[in-house]
Amino acid sequence: MKTRRDFLRTTLLGASATWTVPGFVNNTFAALDASTRDSATQITTGKDGPILVVIQLAGGNDGLNTVVPFADDDYHKARARIAKKEKDILKLSDYCGLNQSMPFFGSLYKEGKLGVVQGVGYPNPNRSHFVSTSIWETADPTTRSNTGWIGRYFDNACAGADPTVGISFNKTQPESFGALKNSGICLSSPELYRWIHGGGEQDKAEEFFANLNSPDADKSPMKVEDEAPVDGASIGMGGGKPGIVQGESNLAFLERVAMDARVSSSQILEIAAKYKSKVTYDGTPLARSLNLVSRMIAGGLPTRIFYVSHGGFDTHNNQVNSHDRLLSQLDSAVKSFLTDIKAQGNQDRVSVMTFSEFGRRVQENASGGTDHGQGSCMFLAGAPIKGGLYGKYPSLSDLSQGDLKFTTDFRSVYATVLEDFMKTPSKEILKASYPKLGLIG
Amino acid sequence: MLPKAQTSWTREEAAHLLNRAGFGGAPNSINDLHAMGREKAVDFLLQPTEAPDAFAEPEWCQPAKVAEEARRRFQLIRENRIAARDMTPEEADRKRREIQQSFQRDERRRGMEAQGWWLDRMLKSQAPLREKMTFFWHDHFATSAQKVREPILLLRQNQLFRAHALGNFKKLTHKITQDGAMMLYLDLQNSKKGKPNENFAREVMELFTLGQGNYTEEDIRQAARAFTGYSINRLSGEVSFNKKQWDETEKNFLGAKGNFDADGIVDIIFQQEQTSRYVPTKLWEFFAYEEPPTTAVDDLAKTFLDSKFEVSSVLREIFLSKEFYSEKCMHAQIKSPIHFFVQMLKQLEIPEIPSAYALYVQAQLGQILYAPPNVAGWDWGKAWINTNTLLTRYQISGHLCKAGSTQAPEKNMSKVKGFAMPKGGMNVASAGPDYDTLVPRDARDNVEKMVDSLIDRLFQRPLSGNVRESFIAYGNEKKGVIFTNQEVAELIHLMMSTPHYQLT
Repeated sequence: MKTRRDFLRTTLLGASATWTVPGFVNNTFAALDASTRDSATQITTGKDGPILVVIQLAGGNDGLNTVVPFADDDYHKARARIAKKEKDILKLSDYCGLNQSMPFFGSLYKEGKLGVVQGVGYPNPNRSHFVSTSIWETADPTTRSNTGWIGRYFDNACAGADPTVGISFNKTQPESFGALKNSGICLSSPELYRWIHGGGEQDKAEEFFANLNSPDADKSPMKVEDEAPVDGASIGMGGGKPGIVQGESNLAFLERVAMDARVSSSQILEIAAKYKSKVTYDGTPLARSLNLVSRMIAGGLPTRIFYVSHGGFDTHNNQVNSHDRLLSQLDSAVKSFLTDIKAQGNQDRVSVMTFSEFGRRVQENASGGTDHGQGSCMFLAGAPIKGGLYGKYPSLSDLSQGDLKFTTDFRSVYATVLEDFMKTPSKEILKASYPKLGLIG
Repeated sequence: MLPKAQTSWTREEAAHLLNRAGFGGAPNSINDLHAMGREKAVDFLLQPTEAPDAFAEPEWCQPAKVAEEARRRFQLIRENRIAARDMTPEEADRKRREIQQSFQRDERRRGMEAQGWWLDRMLKSQAPLREKMTFFWHDHFATSAQKVREPILLLRQNQLFRAHALGNFKKLTHKITQDGAMMLYLDLQNSKKGKPNENFAREVMELFTLGQGNYTEEDIRQAARAFTGYSINRLSGEVSFNKKQWDETEKNFLGAKGNFDADGIVDIIFQQEQTSRYVPTKLWEFFAYEEPPTTAVDDLAKTFLDSKFEVSSVLREIFLSKEFYSEKCMHAQIKSPIHFFVQMLKQLEIPEIPSAYALYVQAQLGQILYAPPNVAGWDWGKAWINTNTLLTRYQISGHLCKAGSTQAPEKNMSKVKGFAMPKGGMNVASAGPDYDTLVPRDARDNVEKMVDSLIDRLFQRPLSGNVRESFIAYGNEKKGVIFTNQEVAELIHLMMSTPHYQLT
């Protein structure tokens, strides 16, 4: 599989004598390459290095019926109609247990590969889907940040990486991918992540398209025979900071992105065509997305973080069946995925993390559902995870406006994953230091 | 005063002015503007003859309809409350939700119509700068349907921006403190004596007038007390002032003491030197390029202050300046998604907004009208572009050119909060370009000439050798016995599928 650099050398420079070395290589690539010397930078290869798969449970997952405090009378009192009985759960402790729609998660827990973080939230919670999702994605409760926590990881730790360092199998770019330099890519299906030519003579048309979306040829020629980064006058690095391409013109920037798009598009199409899973996945959107993630990992894409969504958790009415079904879909999709990853031999470098914008009200509503609440639970699954219960289950009697009070700040979970699993300092990324949870290893 | 450009001008400069001060145009519109000469063209843009109410508002905006709708909702809610007495709690709750959902459905449909109505103006208006400035104010005084929810309030706010688009900034700022959508968005609605909400007080200084670092946290607290006492009727949109809920006590704000009310605070803000610099800087960045030289800001600030905050005086100076037509400025701005879309329709002379498809474009490219991401507005420039949005731009060009499929992939369409998904998918088939007019049959024999004429239409400037050569080579490759409409579409699609086309 070709990397961005390979593309430059072989496709553009080698194959066609008319293509001279583009000006933006001079200005950009050297700067980006030079920046990989920075100690915080992680060289991304497709063969080793940790991979995080983030699963968004969109709509506000009812944590109380996911990790059920079955031993608490207040739970049964508040939820006369929708509470889970002791016989209907998979016990994690004498106090709480998993919704029985999640047998695979239950077995992972027994194997010590499922971390359950209880009572996760943040101060002054916001009950709007929109605002609270934004808070989780930017890791900024003041909702002021223009970048996401994952995007800041790319910027801080993966300078010089290909844009496939982050892939969201989503319809739109998640806010968490927002970055100053490299915001990863986002696609809903590989077939659409490409230049689609409508007419005949597809190959011919694509050749012209490729040429036009390569660096411009009317810049001054130079050689790039040596791999070594070129320091010096030609590199516009501002204030000695690595990776920042100061004064890059809008056209040079667009040419760079255009080539990244073309390269990542052909990488992804190539892998999607070549690698198929031996494991069977359900037909749910989540399972399909995780299947794609697994194939991208099998194909050796240098991706550090994948992001997929599982929607429908806004269970305001008659939630019992629908909520159980959603959890069952999650369970089944993660089961297929982790089995697949194990068959590839990649199990020691892949972890899954779930999050949801908020939990739900302790008291059920009159429609057999639950309304927007606060603290909820997070799951971390996979071989690298040290299984167990983390954080403290919030009290069901000492509530804040009818909601659980959070006991663990979600940024503590992010900090743990970044430092202990992704092996990168978290302070720059989260803009503060948070206590770690010892979830890894 | 910024150094002025010379009186005579080129057609390329005229196209540049129309691209920046409006949403571009077809070759004929550029010719018309060019023929006026530089000064007259700027006058034409600053003093449009088209009446601000030249476009009829959607029917549901008429005051009588608004009142009727308010009554209808009120009655539905009341009837349901009475009926609920005989229901089980579960039934009553279900019924209440059903009614709420029906209101929301109406709001989403109106939200989409409000977008279509605005885009239609951008496409057809004979007052392009007024529309571009309306767009600027929407970003500047960012307010989102995601929170406000009532499309009528957003449309009224939009009309406020239009009325003051080229007018007085101080006056507009006074008006915005009592704008219904803004009040709901920045929580002035619930701001009462003894319990002032600081949201608006902060943003009016940080984002609307002064910029960060030109006031203290204490100034925010003092100002918040003055911005109390207003409330709004969500259904009718009427704003009223309740003197009892206004904090009438003395405030100490930016060094001035007095029993200020909202207008008093705004007046003091406009006595700050920084207020004359903040908006001119943003205007320069919006119309010309980012990070203007300090001397340019000095000049524009003086003009702004001398004219007592008349926006048109600043704009006139920008559009007549030498720097605005410099190499640094021309053809170097990354089109915003809305600009990209509207300009493309104009260049392809597509007469109507394909309004269902428009929502797809906005959502996929990251700029939804009436829904900026937060109170700071959108991030412009390079922030619009990533690998995904760039490829999506290329696909959208293909759809609009009818180069292949005209159907946006529906499974690719996510819900957009606050706006109804149109039924029947995202087909743009009804609104294709008329290629027999755009590129007449007898102009297709000479590929080189055809390409040059299309370069003029799409780029309005000579393109570097290699890019133009590629277009010509592609055309020659295509050329059979005749160049069909389909082949013209494919050629245009290729020309738009380039980094260069993203610039204006």
